[in-house]
Amino acid sequence: MIARAVKIALCVLIGCSVWHVQGYAQETDLSSQGSFESPVSVIQDMRGLDADDGYFDDAPLKFSPSLSQSPMYTLTGLTDWGQEILYVYGLTTLITIIVFLSVSIPIVYALFRFRDRSYKRRTDEHPLGYDNDQELPKQVTGHMGLEILWTTIPVVLLILIAVPTWQTIFNQDRAIKTIERTGEALKVEVIGHQWWWEFVYTDYGVTTANELVLPESTPVIFSITSADVIHSFYIPKFGGKLDAIPGKVNRLVYTTPALTQQAGSPGDYYTGQCMELCGLSHALMKFEAVIRSHHDFKSFIDSHNVAPVVTTASEKRGEELFVQCMACHSIWGTPSADLEVVKIGPDLSNFGDRRTLAAGIRRNSMVNLKAWIKNPTRFKPGVLMPALELSDQQIEDVAAYIQFSTAKTPFSE
Amino acid sequence: MAQYLSSTGLMSWLTTVDHKKIGIMYGVSAFFFLIFGGVEAVLMRTQLVLPDLKILSAETYNGLVTMHGTTMIFLFLMPLISAFFNFMIPLMIGAADVAYPRMNALSFWVFLFGGLLLNYSFIAGQVPQVGWFAYANLTSKTYTPDHSVDFWILGIQVIGLASLISSINFFVTIINMRCAGMSLLRMPIFIWASLITQILLFLSLPVITVALVMITADRTFGTGFFDPGLGGSVVMWQHLFWIFGHPEVYILILPAMGIVSEIIPVFSRKPLFGYPVMVYSVTAIGFLGFAVWAHHMFTTGMGAWATAFFSLATMLISVPTGIKIFNWISTLWGGQIRFTTAHLFAISFVAMFTIGGLSGIMHASPPIDYHQHDTYFVVAHFHYVLYGGAVMGLFAGIYYWFPKFFGRLLSESIGKWQFWLYMIGFNLTFFPMHFLGLQGMPRRNFTYAPDQGWELWNVLSTLGAYLTALGGILFLVNVVTSLIRGRQAGHDPWDGRTLEWSVSSPPPEYNFATTPTVGSIDGWWHQKYIDGKRIEPPYQPNSPKQDIHLPHPSFWPIVLAFGITLLASAFFFGKAGIIVGAVGGLVILVASYGWSYEDP
Repeated sequence: MIARAVKIALCVLIGCSVWHVQGYAQETDLSSQGSFESPVSVIQDMRGLDADDGYFDDAPLKFSPSLSQSPMYTLTGLTDWGQEILYVYGLTTLITIIVFLSVSIPIVYALFRFRDRSYKRRTDEHPLGYDNDQELPKQVTGHMGLEILWTTIPVVLLILIAVPTWQTIFNQDRAIKTIERTGEALKVEVIGHQWWWEFVYTDYGVTTANELVLPESTPVIFSITSADVIHSFYIPKFGGKLDAIPGKVNRLVYTTPALTQQAGSPGDYYTGQCMELCGLSHALMKFEAVIRSHHDFKSFIDSHNVAPVVTTASEKRGEELFVQCMACHSIWGTPSADLEVVKIGPDLSNFGDRRTLAAGIRRNSMVNLKAWIKNPTRFKPGVLMPALELSDQQIEDVAAYIQFSTAKTPFSE
Repeated sequence: MAQYLSSTGLMSWLTTVDHKKIGIMYGVSAFFFLIFGGVEAVLMRTQLVLPDLKILSAETYNGLVTMHGTTMIFLFLMPLISAFFNFMIPLMIGAADVAYPRMNALSFWVFLFGGLLLNYSFIAGQVPQVGWFAYANLTSKTYTPDHSVDFWILGIQVIGLASLISSINFFVTIINMRCAGMSLLRMPIFIWASLITQILLFLSLPVITVALVMITADRTFGTGFFDPGLGGSVVMWQHLFWIFGHPEVYILILPAMGIVSEIIPVFSRKPLFGYPVMVYSVTAIGFLGFAVWAHHMFTTGMGAWATAFFSLATMLISVPTGIKIFNWISTLWGGQIRFTTAHLFAISFVAMFTIGGLSGIMHASPPIDYHQHDTYFVVAHFHYVLYGGAVMGLFAGIYYWFPKFFGRLLSESIGKWQFWLYMIGFNLTFFPMHFLGLQGMPRRNFTYAPDQGWELWNVLSTLGAYLTALGGILFLVNVVTSLIRGRQAGHDPWDGRTLEWSVSSPPPEYNFATTPTVGSIDGWWHQKYIDGKRIEPPYQPNSPKQDIHLPHPSFWPIVLAFGITLLASAFFFGKAGIIVGAVGGLVILVASYGWSYEDP
């Protein structure tokens, strides 16, 4: 209640100042000066995209009920590895709380018990206000026994933390080595790009982007690397993060959690995000991991290599316009997939099935897709995708093609 | 030459080699840059108060992230610590000045010009956006084609040179210029902390210097040390940076620990508990500090053995640190605790630093760090260490030694307002960040989505930042009003324990009229209290019996510093840089020549 009141008060306060500054910015046209924009010049709207875009769909994403609170909550540990980490985490937290109490209680007690009671008003003669002529307290210079005590107790506590820590580190190491030897796991290559994620299922020759589809209760080995700068691959509810480093492959192994949701929905969604500063739009480099039943996962893999189905006239026009997108994007079963170039944009083969667009930052809907195509940098500053010179009708057509022709809805009802 | 020998006026400051004046200039510059760093922090907190705000653009925010970190570490904490080194080391060891007074002036001017070079990026409109750690290969020509990151690289290069020069200077001063009777184990604990800090500085700074030369070569000549496409390694940059960067953390915290260890005994009217163990702890922290750098890199996939080793080494640091904390508590225990502003700041240092240390133990364990790394939990952790720790300790030092610097006391009542604003504001800003970290909120993000449940903590955090800013303004008000009409300090307002309180406030140019002698730790205290009874303190006489040789002022240090900065800025001018660099080199040559043939 109080929190809400504070929040509202602050919103009003900031809202007013923003509105004021905005007027000032328009009057003086600060926005046209220099590449480093003045803080006051960029304010258009308190939230979301600019109001004058007209179409922006801000409907929240749905998570399964058990996961909806705080989608990136770190103390969940839904995989075997995540569980192991949680054990170390809990133990360490307990020990630190005990140490905190054993430091703070004596401090607070000492401050009350041993305060100098000679304080009087401060005068020029006694600028300190305390009496320097009173008897001194006992002049203790040290105590060997006590000092040995508080050297050894921390050592014991550290051993308590260090042993399970080491176990976790080496268990993960052993798991990676075992799977590398036996090959009994789903192999997924994770490649970070500025600012989106590419996922390659090497066993199946399937490439997808920004939505990591995984079968439930299955061991997975991730080979994590980067195509440009350093990124960091993190799905908080599963376990820890690991960096995606250019010129280096990092491996991570865990068994995916079981499916919690009813059949008929596409699966359980978990938020992931890049955690290493990777340039201008680092904050906008997210993705979603989807846990599906084994059957639905197989449908995903099978349907991926199915050409898009063009039904309406608008989609047909969009298919022709998509030629302009081919240099960067691929859709399986179209000429774009056969082009012999390195694709710098995400694969769009099953775009219509994805829940989000632009690397997990917005809900995947027609309005958002059209807004994105119209002006990608509005969503994501510094993004490589240009705003093509398309009419509103052409944007509508391309969006329809990408959105509907690639939707394969292969899930068991 | 006589006109600039005068002891007042602008020229006297530009040419001074007096450690006290240089100390004051360091302090003033530090607070000048604090205004930048503080405004940057408040702007960032404003942007993050609610999700999806567009008060700052991504470009602006990333620039502020980088400049806030760099400014607070290199342009606020380090020079402020240097101010204490400069002013207090000679006074506390009973010396007339530092070992190399003109080198001292040189390091100040090099630092100042380096700081200005770095901040010139705002005027040039190319603010570095790569974080204060500037991880390769985001810093490469491919991913940062403009000059923004060059401001960071060359600014830090120049500032690092300043610290390197001054570290050698203070090291020699402490080793060679202690007064009679002050053996190593009779040095004030702040001097011990300073000594270890100088060692950390001159062992770690060369590493970053070399790393910066490599990245400059990568960017300017295409060498490819950190370019995986040319066979380089981006992880190598992280190793080099943190081999410097982790000792740097101890460079910031050890002096604050030293200051606090001076203040708590004075205001508890008891000697420091376990002085020898405190000395060993400082030394142990210093040496272990070189064996833990890769705990910043647990998520880079170093391999199990390296991860396990650096984890254990990091945990070990908590042992000497814990000893210090319990020794501070034992110093308070059974004393006559006086709640002056300086002491409040010192006690809060112990409490806040403990919280920061404990969250540090958590991510010393790599599995936990896999979660906490690059989330707001880490932001909370290091602000508790460097802000609740180092900054609170340094404010304790300012309130404690301000009367020695300027002869007047800071206002205690404004001081206490500032203290409580800082304590409440600080904890309100940074404690919620622990929860944000647990909820997975990533660092260095210019915005966040509304569906994450992070709003409440962010609102509180921003509110705290505003309170702290208010506290900062109160401090500036306190300084200005106290300088004009603060209470006269006299020699020894706090009933101090160390030699600086035997001279007048502010101290005369030559510091000590007669060479002091100490017979034990806290030598000055034992000259005032004989068998626990206070006698009339034997203050230093008002004028020296014979002439004391003082080094002459010199304008060569500032000229040389200008030459060095000019040489560094050559990299901004493309091919014309050769000419700029040649001019810079020429200035360096002329200044060195003039310096060498100057009167001693």
